[in-house]
Amino acid sequence: MKAKNSNSRETNEALFLIVPAIAIYVVFAVFPMVDVVWLSFQKWNGLDASKQFVGIANYVDIFTKDPVFWQAFRNSVIWTVLSTIFPPMIGLILALGLNQPLFGRNAMRAIYYLPVIIAPIAVATMWRWMYDPFFGLFAQLLTSWGLQSWIKDWLGTRETALYAAFIALIWQSVGASMVLFLAGLQSVDRSLVEAARIDGANRRQIFRFVTLPALRPTITIVLVLSVIGSLKAFDIIYGLTGGGPAQSTQMLALWAFTQSMQIFDFGHGSAISVVLLIITLLIVVPYMRWAKKREGGEE
Amino acid sequence: MTSVSENQMHADDIVIKPQRDWVLVGLWIALFVTAAIWLAPFVFIVFTSFKSNGDVMTTSAFAPPLHLQTSNYTAAWDKGRFGTTLFNSIIITVIKVPLGIFLSAMCAYALARIRFPGGNILFQAILFGTMIPFQVMLAPLFTLVNSLKLIDTYPGIILPYLAFGIPYQVFILHAFFRAVPRELTEAARIDGASHFTIFRRIFLPISLPVLAALFILDFVATWNEFAMALVLLQDREMWTLPLGLSAFQGQFSRDYGQLNAAIIMTVLPATLVYLLFQRYFVAGLTSGSVKG
Repeated sequence: MKAKNSNSRETNEALFLIVPAIAIYVVFAVFPMVDVVWLSFQKWNGLDASKQFVGIANYVDIFTKDPVFWQAFRNSVIWTVLSTIFPPMIGLILALGLNQPLFGRNAMRAIYYLPVIIAPIAVATMWRWMYDPFFGLFAQLLTSWGLQSWIKDWLGTRETALYAAFIALIWQSVGASMVLFLAGLQSVDRSLVEAARIDGANRRQIFRFVTLPALRPTITIVLVLSVIGSLKAFDIIYGLTGGGPAQSTQMLALWAFTQSMQIFDFGHGSAISVVLLIITLLIVVPYMRWAKKREGGEE
Repeated sequence: MTSVSENQMHADDIVIKPQRDWVLVGLWIALFVTAAIWLAPFVFIVFTSFKSNGDVMTTSAFAPPLHLQTSNYTAAWDKGRFGTTLFNSIIITVIKVPLGIFLSAMCAYALARIRFPGGNILFQAILFGTMIPFQVMLAPLFTLVNSLKLIDTYPGIILPYLAFGIPYQVFILHAFFRAVPRELTEAARIDGASHFTIFRRIFLPISLPVLAALFILDFVATWNEFAMALVLLQDREMWTLPLGLSAFQGQFSRDYGQLNAAIIMTVLPATLVYLLFQRYFVAGLTSGSVKG
């Protein structure tokens, strides 16, 4: 009896501590996530009091009647693949380099990381100005090297806009991967590196057989974070191109926003959001299982 | 938890050999040149921000400004309504960041140190939230905040910010609190202390370094947030700095000097915070996400 009392007292105290955070989380994060699924089966302009249930019509529409959806889908895939390959790879190379005893490496780490803490919308504004075909940084550099013919309106040309935007993303995001890899490198067993060296292994062999296996968990984390980060690409595209020219840089997250908040078609916008949500879950759920198993294995 | 502290770094250094290591020299040059490239956009932006439009068109990109056109800053401040947007950003950040960390810490304490039914499931649900991109939910978030009549209000933006910050912070603090020895809690419990007292008197003080790291990270994230603000703050009297900058670019993209001054005024606060509190940053970023 006494034990039961103390248990319920514990539960009451726990509730008192968790309720404020959980209530806010449920109302403003979980509810919208459920609501977006509900909205995706409705026809609604976001203003009227009444919504009309239309079943899967919104999904049929975006898959069959909305060419921009597939363009956005394709761009999101390209963007995701590129940002899962390049920023982590460059970040890893920088981390390996800056893990060595080099003069000024703390200053260099700070420089590589600085773009990460700048607002993505400010990064977009910076790069839009740098890509300015008349007086921007790249136009001026090419002019001073006598390569005027190479200058073009990178962000205003359908073929180059997406890749021009991606270069801005590289500049902003490699620092984030670098920091995670630097932390991961601390877990590389020093004595193993020493032993390998004594056994005559060269740098490449040490990297291949000692460093890389020890970094495997970090690599997984960085890759998953990159995929999730790229699926939600919004600010940088919004600021650089707004999805243009002619939808050539349109992305799923931005297109969902545009459909709902600018075209006032909440049904279509929500259906696109749900597609994006499902893609995210397909990546997140296996990752969380893996992380949990790993956590359990360590204890 | 791993912190990239200097001591660890030095312990990791390869023993310096007597002869010059040419691989390292080459590496250093490559890293240095790349760092210079990484820094170049900042130099370009700072230089442009002090140039008149005429100078921008006639001088080269990396030519330092001949006469400092400081009027770019005052003009951008007025046209970009920086007085209003800076004020809103400060209010929102100053309320959101400490409040969010306090609520998360309470929640993390209970999940880590009190056994109660459903606690584990609750923790899994929160963990799940760390991975969900809120960009997916801008429209339902708008309808929710709108139905609460909170569009264009401070609570209307602060509450969603809190909701999307809580999972990550709970996750990090949960890991930290769980590593605190049980005896500490048990001794206080026997003396009759409530969990809230233990949390406030023991756990908050000992977790100051983690709290500081989360504080800095959250400051920058809140300060920089754009997508939710775009949807939830429609009245320009309520705009934050990122919204103001975006609008400035839309209207005055041909006033090069002023545009660049606006960029600098927008990013300067976060940059200063980063430079001042760098070590907490790295500790915060790497704790939890990468285990040693």
